[in-house]
Amino acid sequence: MLPLSIKDDEYKPPRLNLLRKVSGWFRSILSDSTSRNLFFFLLLNLSFAFVELLYGIWSNSLGLISDSFHMFFDCTALLAGLAASVISRWRSNDTFSYGYVRAEVLAGFVNGLFLIFTAFFIFSEGIERALEPPDVHHDRLLSISVLGFLVNLVGIFVFKHGGHGHSHDGGHGHSHSLFNGGIPGLNHGHSHGEHGHSHGHRPLHSHDHGHGHSHSQEHCHDDHQCDTLQAKGSNKQILEGVFLHIVADTLGSIGVIISALLMQNYGLMIADPICSMLISFLIGISVVPLLKQSIGILMQRTPPSLDHVLPQCYQRVQHLQGVYSLIDPHFWTLCSEVYIGTVKLLVAPDADARWILSQTHSIFTQAGIRQLYVQIDFAAL
Amino acid sequence: MDCEPNRARLMCMLWLTFGFFVVEVVVSRLTSSLAMLSDSFHMLSDVIALVVALIAVRFAAKTQSTSKNTFGWIRAEVMGALVNAVFLTALCFTIVLEAIERFSEPREIQNAVVVIGVGAAGLLVNLLGLCMFHGSGGGGGGSAHGHSHSHSHVSGSNSSGQWLRKKKRAEANKLSGNGSSVRDQEEINILVSGSAINGVNPDKQDVFGTCRSDLLRDNSMEGLQLNGISVLDDHHDEFGDFDDSASQLNMRGVFLHVLGDALGSVIVVVNALIFYFVWNPCPESGPCINMCLHDHCIDREHLNGTQSNISQNSENIPEAGPCWVLFLDPTLCCIMVCILLYTTYPLLKESALILLQTVPKQIDMQLINEKLRNLEGVLAVHELHVWQLAGSRIIATAHIKCRDPTAYMDVAKRIKDFFHNEGIHATTIQPEFASVNSESRISLCELPCKTQCALKQCCGNGEKSSSDLKLETPSTHSLEVIRESPEHPNIRTERSEAGSNAVKNKDTQYESAV
Repeated sequence: MLPLSIKDDEYKPPRLNLLRKVSGWFRSILSDSTSRNLFFFLLLNLSFAFVELLYGIWSNSLGLISDSFHMFFDCTALLAGLAASVISRWRSNDTFSYGYVRAEVLAGFVNGLFLIFTAFFIFSEGIERALEPPDVHHDRLLSISVLGFLVNLVGIFVFKHGGHGHSHDGGHGHSHSLFNGGIPGLNHGHSHGEHGHSHGHRPLHSHDHGHGHSHSQEHCHDDHQCDTLQAKGSNKQILEGVFLHIVADTLGSIGVIISALLMQNYGLMIADPICSMLISFLIGISVVPLLKQSIGILMQRTPPSLDHVLPQCYQRVQHLQGVYSLIDPHFWTLCSEVYIGTVKLLVAPDADARWILSQTHSIFTQAGIRQLYVQIDFAAL
Repeated sequence: MDCEPNRARLMCMLWLTFGFFVVEVVVSRLTSSLAMLSDSFHMLSDVIALVVALIAVRFAAKTQSTSKNTFGWIRAEVMGALVNAVFLTALCFTIVLEAIERFSEPREIQNAVVVIGVGAAGLLVNLLGLCMFHGSGGGGGGSAHGHSHSHSHVSGSNSSGQWLRKKKRAEANKLSGNGSSVRDQEEINILVSGSAINGVNPDKQDVFGTCRSDLLRDNSMEGLQLNGISVLDDHHDEFGDFDDSASQLNMRGVFLHVLGDALGSVIVVVNALIFYFVWNPCPESGPCINMCLHDHCIDREHLNGTQSNISQNSENIPEAGPCWVLFLDPTLCCIMVCILLYTTYPLLKESALILLQTVPKQIDMQLINEKLRNLEGVLAVHELHVWQLAGSRIIATAHIKCRDPTAYMDVAKRIKDFFHNEGIHATTIQPEFASVNSESRISLCELPCKTQCALKQCCGNGEKSSSDLKLETPSTHSLEVIRESPEHPNIRTERSEAGSNAVKNKDTQYESAV
């Protein structure tokens, strides 16, 4: 007799031993290639931020210091995505009957929000600078830009994946012109894009649901195939997202480099704020698809990929013998590729409930919905 | 729920804040004060938060299900609350960064009087906003710690108290053994909202408009009776009464935002006042030593310029005022950030938990599972999921294993009633007829009754047969439903397995599914 479930506790982090907890997380992160890559990229960004911070303290440049803090802020977002990928692998329990798979959708959404906020912030800083152009020191700017561009290239190389770029996430060339309105020093209005922090937010957004999928236990009970399929699908989405993200970041870096060159060679101080504003627009626009998708999932919207299939399914079910009508269908996405549905069927009092049930299930399974709840209501004659 | 008043309040506050934002921008340009400009951007963020809340309220008004959004847009308010909470957190982070920057490079305030004036005006606007929003969502905001969820329920039910009490108290009393009064009140609230919706027409605009008022209709519209359960019961659940607490979540988000802004204004005013009275600025003409500003250029210049002077007459050189004044601003900012984060965290957690499809706090899954299993006619419960759509709209789905369709017809009503008692009004129960695996795919070859097997060729052949199943002699609930089916010997073996592991099956499968 196969064990049908495994007790929760072995996968839930034990409360008592912090070390064991943390090492459990590490094991979980390192077990999957995507989260491993993200983790190392996060480390890369963090180290870059630290280096910048130390350099800023050493050379007493406030701009560098505040820019490094901004980088930490972005690393937080990346960390959130990583955390989501770990959390979404936890088993379901009493409080989370569907498990934690939605964590990634939520993380993607929150990261998208952070990105919008960042874009808004950069834009406002750009305006401030346009009104009061500060003194900009370019010498260090260019070198840092180039360094950031290189980091981005590393990211592209690591996360290379030719995807169809479905969900695009926020490009980050954000020139975070930081708070130093008027303070002489390095102009960090651009130093941000340079650090090419790939905010991995993107990747972990809606499209994946844990790789090693412990949750698929509930979704595809007997279907071991669907585990691997889903895991592959989710990884693909993540990598795609990160790739797009890094590409956007690289473009941002290039923009920063160009503006730095302009400033150096032609003294066009206005290039800085204009670049900031352009980049904030870019970020804002690229975040919109991500947000739309996450919002759709979180609002329990019918899965877009099923929009055409579902009416046909309804038709087929209604043609089943004994079925009077199909009422109240609800289909929603739990996380990417996992759809859950409930329908109510009004059936004749002498109908064969079992047969109808099995037929309905097979009809919807063909459409890709594996978790379905069909309520049979016998019409009173 | 307070929809119209809410919307009015939001619009009012929105225009007020936006107007003030414009004023601040103009003033900042006139006085060329960068600090005021950045403060005005904080106001702008407030405006954005209000816009988000307004959009959420607008969307959530559309409780009618559309083809794309079968649940309607009810969740919009939870999303609005989450967006505001996240926004607030990001804002706090920004403020921290600014404060750190100020710590390392303190700045004097120029035009302290103007700053005081504008700061006071901003404070007034924000206090007005606080008063406006304190009534609805703010109550939850103050007590936003711990079980904010139940609090918001309670406050919601309190505010619409009269019509609640008219309803079935008795039923509320026989609820799950937990006797906490908070839960009872919640249950009543949910119960009433659930049963009161039946008279409502699917044109949800009306429903939404009735918010707190006349939802006193009884179950007048029984309509199509199925199994003794009004199908419109559930149907209207979908369009049904929208709860106070979700909108309260949204309003709480706005309230917290306005609170943050108010605190910011307080800090600005306090700081400017202290600066005005305590600080001795450097006079514009003449030499001056300013030891507080670590401005390399100025320091050097001054030192160079004043070195000769110092040696001559040290008493005449004014020194810029007490340095600690310059550090007051960032310190206060840090305190404010702490306060804000402390009050925002519960909101963030609550809306995030709803969006993560968590079982609502007041529902005890183990208890529900047990009670369901104890119902007569229920052999097993699988794949029980309970989640919260928004506020008090709770949705549950489960597989209930029964002996046969007739038994199912009997027990279906009881199951629905049970869920209604728990406060869950939108349920979808899938019957399973004593099959082995609990998966959605029911293997049809397990039929518990000997007489039927001859008639039905069930194993997925698609043949329809009559479903006049006779009632079996009721077996015990221990799932020993082994029947002799000579036509299907394989069933017997599977069934025996099922029989022996049945009890275990129930539990383990429940665990795996839940």
